[in-house]
Amino acid sequence: MAEQKWPEKYPVEGKRGRKYGTVAAMRVAPMVKAAIGGAVEAKAQGKAIAYCFIESNYDEIIRAMDIVPMWTENYAGICGAKRDTQRFLDKADSLGFSRSLCTYATCGLGFDAWREELGSMPPEAPWGGQARPDVMLSSGQIICDPRNKWYQAVQQFMPDVPVYNCAALWPLYEDDIDRREVEPYYVKYLAEDLRGLVRFLEEHLHGKMDWDRLWEVIKLADETTDLHAECRELRKAVPTPMDTGDAMNTMVPQAFMMGTQEAHDFYRDLRDELKYKVERGLGVIPEEKYRLIWPGGLPSWFALMDFNYFWSKGAVFPVESTYNELVYPARELDLPRTDDPLEYMAWRWMRRQTYWWDKARKRPGSEPDVEKLITWIEEYKIDGVVIHEAYSCRSWHVGLLWQVNQLAKIYKPIPVLILKEDRKEVEYRELPSLVLESDMIDISSYSEAETRAKIDAFIETLESIKSRKVEV
Amino acid sequence: MPEDDFRPDGGLSTAEKYYEDYGSRARELKKQGKKIIGYLCSLTPLEIVTAAGFIPFRIKGSVKEPITKADTQMETIVCPLVRSCFDITLKGNYDFLDGIIIPHACDSITRSYSTIRYSLGLPYSHFLNLPHTAKDISLEFFKAELDTFRRSLGNFAGEEVSDESLIRTSRLYNENRAKVRELYELRKSDPPLISGTEITKVLVASMSLPVEESTELLSRVVDEVKQRKGISPVQKLPRIMVIGAQVDDATLIKLIEDSGASVVADSVCVGSRDHFPPTDITPDPLDGIADHYLRRLKCPRTYVEWTEGTYDDYLELRFGHIGSSLRDFKVDAVILYILKYCDPFGFEVPARVKYIESLNIPVLHLEDEYSMASIGRLRTRIQAFLEMITSW
Amino acid sequence: MDYFAGVDIGSTMTKVVIMGEEEVVISLVRVTTPEQRKLANKVMEEALEKASLSFDEITYVIATGYGRINVAFADKQITEISCHARGVASLIPAVKTIIDIGGQDSKGIKLSGGKVVGFVMNDKCAAGTGRFLEITARALGVKLEEIGELSLTARNPAEISNTCTVFAEQEVINKLAGGVPLNDILAGLHQAIASRIASLVSRLGIEREVMVTGGGAKNVGLVKALESKLDLPVLIPPDPLLTGAIGAALLGRDLVKKAKNEGLPVTKRQRSLEEVKFFA
Repeated sequence: MAEQKWPEKYPVEGKRGRKYGTVAAMRVAPMVKAAIGGAVEAKAQGKAIAYCFIESNYDEIIRAMDIVPMWTENYAGICGAKRDTQRFLDKADSLGFSRSLCTYATCGLGFDAWREELGSMPPEAPWGGQARPDVMLSSGQIICDPRNKWYQAVQQFMPDVPVYNCAALWPLYEDDIDRREVEPYYVKYLAEDLRGLVRFLEEHLHGKMDWDRLWEVIKLADETTDLHAECRELRKAVPTPMDTGDAMNTMVPQAFMMGTQEAHDFYRDLRDELKYKVERGLGVIPEEKYRLIWPGGLPSWFALMDFNYFWSKGAVFPVESTYNELVYPARELDLPRTDDPLEYMAWRWMRRQTYWWDKARKRPGSEPDVEKLITWIEEYKIDGVVIHEAYSCRSWHVGLLWQVNQLAKIYKPIPVLILKEDRKEVEYRELPSLVLESDMIDISSYSEAETRAKIDAFIETLESIKSRKVEV
Repeated sequence: MPEDDFRPDGGLSTAEKYYEDYGSRARELKKQGKKIIGYLCSLTPLEIVTAAGFIPFRIKGSVKEPITKADTQMETIVCPLVRSCFDITLKGNYDFLDGIIIPHACDSITRSYSTIRYSLGLPYSHFLNLPHTAKDISLEFFKAELDTFRRSLGNFAGEEVSDESLIRTSRLYNENRAKVRELYELRKSDPPLISGTEITKVLVASMSLPVEESTELLSRVVDEVKQRKGISPVQKLPRIMVIGAQVDDATLIKLIEDSGASVVADSVCVGSRDHFPPTDITPDPLDGIADHYLRRLKCPRTYVEWTEGTYDDYLELRFGHIGSSLRDFKVDAVILYILKYCDPFGFEVPARVKYIESLNIPVLHLEDEYSMASIGRLRTRIQAFLEMITSW
Repeated sequence: MDYFAGVDIGSTMTKVVIMGEEEVVISLVRVTTPEQRKLANKVMEEALEKASLSFDEITYVIATGYGRINVAFADKQITEISCHARGVASLIPAVKTIIDIGGQDSKGIKLSGGKVVGFVMNDKCAAGTGRFLEITARALGVKLEEIGELSLTARNPAEISNTCTVFAEQEVINKLAGGVPLNDILAGLHQAIASRIASLVSRLGIEREVMVTGGGAKNVGLVKALESKLDLPVLIPPDPLLTGAIGAALLGRDLVKKAKNEGLPVTKRQRSLEEVKFFA
């Protein structure tokens, strides 16, 4: 295939409804493809491969020990984007896994079981297939049962591959608990668990952790996160220089390459590009009418064109919560000093996960997730909320309805004039919201016609509110 | 089953009363000035709740009540049992509650914490964060978490929860569990002296009572059942073990038994999962309690590490307790009853089936929605399974 | 002479078979209507009349199928899983896997030595059942009886991504409007269902010989698609709709034979073939 030539300078003229593309976003797909192929090649060369889950607080450890990660959620997402999941989902079904389970997991399970049966990759496996691992690193955290059970289930087909189940948990927000009270024992557990992970990797992969190197990788990762956070800040501009549709691509280095120079340079380049656009007022679409927020939840990987549809109606998403959950600059976390890199990682994890606690406490009825929404709605000048309920993912989607309901209850920022008896009064309304439903990779659950109809109706609502909005 | 010794004030009839009118005793106690704290799931450390002076009340759902109110606030992809619990709580069935405790059991339960907390607006709520693994460091963490919980409850109670009180309640719950095990002994005969339907009602009734009352009720039931003379049936009925999560309704069990079988054993939350392992009474009581809920209680949400041995050894490590029951209760076949959207069990179905079938016991895997509407479908499967395992 | 009756009340069709000690005397297939109790009686009456038999001459009646509890005059109810297995085993003993595709459900039955050793069912989701084809055929404006043959003429089967019937309906309409040939769409639909059914039955571990029963067996397009998906040849019984009722009658015969051999009385219900009035 001919090498793609990147434009030397942005902006790049956009296609399908957008005015300007995001150069950085266009680099992502080849990066991912190279990583997937790279893993297969690395395996052939005898390098160590680990099945990994994103955002599990062990990226730097993997990179410092030169282990090649195989991100199984990512691979399932790729199958989804290529609309080649059915045969793997069917395989998992035939093995006795319910179709109501996380489709990332059932896709992965079906793929792996098939690969083990054949002794080689399933025919025409997307992008060369998923490399067979030497170890598998689970992480159920407190939000994802599949990530607690998936690799254990895979072991039935690969009993020679050991699993380490990482802690990576955090406290839930409570009214009567100050996070500073519980931090010490959480951090201790997280750090000890990471220590266990290092021992496990050393034992099974016969390497040795270079602690100095680990510190370097952590430093690089923190700088990368800082840059990524800056990118997000830049999207506050009106018009916004980048939208969620692209962010679903640009999150890749954060999620899959954290701790590498490549990820660092990527966000540096993205930051420069966004700065360039902001300085010149270059937005995503010709006429930005509505700014929307995506509070959480995974997109339909096979239907990312739905974002194009939003653009065609003048709607953009300057900010999303998905894949931004841990992107906070290190300086804002007020991290204690320590000589122990694992303890550092533990503190950083805790502080990232409890970032919004203190702020939430100041508003009655608020909770960290809701508080984050309110803050971003104001900072990014948001007009409406869109959530996507993926039917097979309880972890990221249960609670979205509650968030949106609670948001509507405690935050009513839109002033509209209403007629009361004989005079007009200003009443404050909550932001309008839209619920889309399908799945992240199982296309049989998706109806394009229905989705578009819902979006149309939502746009009408946004328009009607806009026309009734008053200046106060 | 011999029901002619059904006395109006007997243990079985009392249990029936509390089963049918679930929560009635809690309501009475509330009127007397007691404080009732509702909880979901077997992983709630009742020893601590009781030691703090509250009466723990297990929230159950209703298979007869269609879910309506819950849907406006909670996604429908949540475990149907959790949705049902939430729905009937919203509808006021448990309006005597002073608080709610939710452990980190599974995603459905965990993710519903905010929703449940805010919609009910009870004076007290707490989320207990159990780690997924049971490593030594996990146990240490969990002990600290339990301490946070104990202090939080103490604040609400207006009095610290002492070690002595925890030792006292640990003993009380051990007594209770021993009573249940004694009752289960009466299922070992062929035919069993107590039916699965009856015992389900007793256990469900029991989980709505304060621990001492529960033990007392169980004692009465044991005495009553011991006096039954076993009636030899016309034909030998297949002995079934039911495996699942919170089977808090007798409808399923009755359906199995009406189809021509005896449910003689289980691995379900309200049954053996809660009651078979006792708690170790340790000098620092939290050690025993942490160990109980994280290691002794066998639930798929807790990740069992494979540190040595073959894969079959690993399955034995994870499911050996099932193997023991299969032998002890002379089980002929297993019905694995899993709710739709259940991840912890769902991912384990093939492994569980493999383990059970390796012991030459047939398994029927049912996936259900926790509602009366699916009875017809269940009936066909159960009947076909029983036909399959019985010789013509 | 002993006579045995098998009554199979499916969600779409009601079947009655009366057999003697060796062979089938009469068989009937009628569309199931909502009033199943009355219907069972009516169809039985019709069968008896055609066979010139009275109800009392029937030694044993077994009811099966979705509506089996509504057969008041049956001596015993047995699930369609056991009945299909028995029926198929009597026709071709070599069959190890049965795939039954009905109007509203589909099942897989695993046999060993003619006995059921495993089964799977899908009776909740229309995908993988006759219903899926019924609805999509209607949306496409094609007669249900013709879709099988038509699908075989396809050059380039369309990719149907929705297995949810409601969505699939929309999808096929859109494809047709977009110019995709009708036979290609039909082929795609058949493949989609065959996939669904195959993965369901795969849970049992598919072994030859494989036999397809039920209404689905009469659809040549579906049978071919299944063969292709399974990569195995598939057998069809002469009367695909009757295997359940035949099996039921045979099981009645088996029970009576066993009772006679063991010197036990045959457990029969107090039964008569009257019109059931109170559930009108």
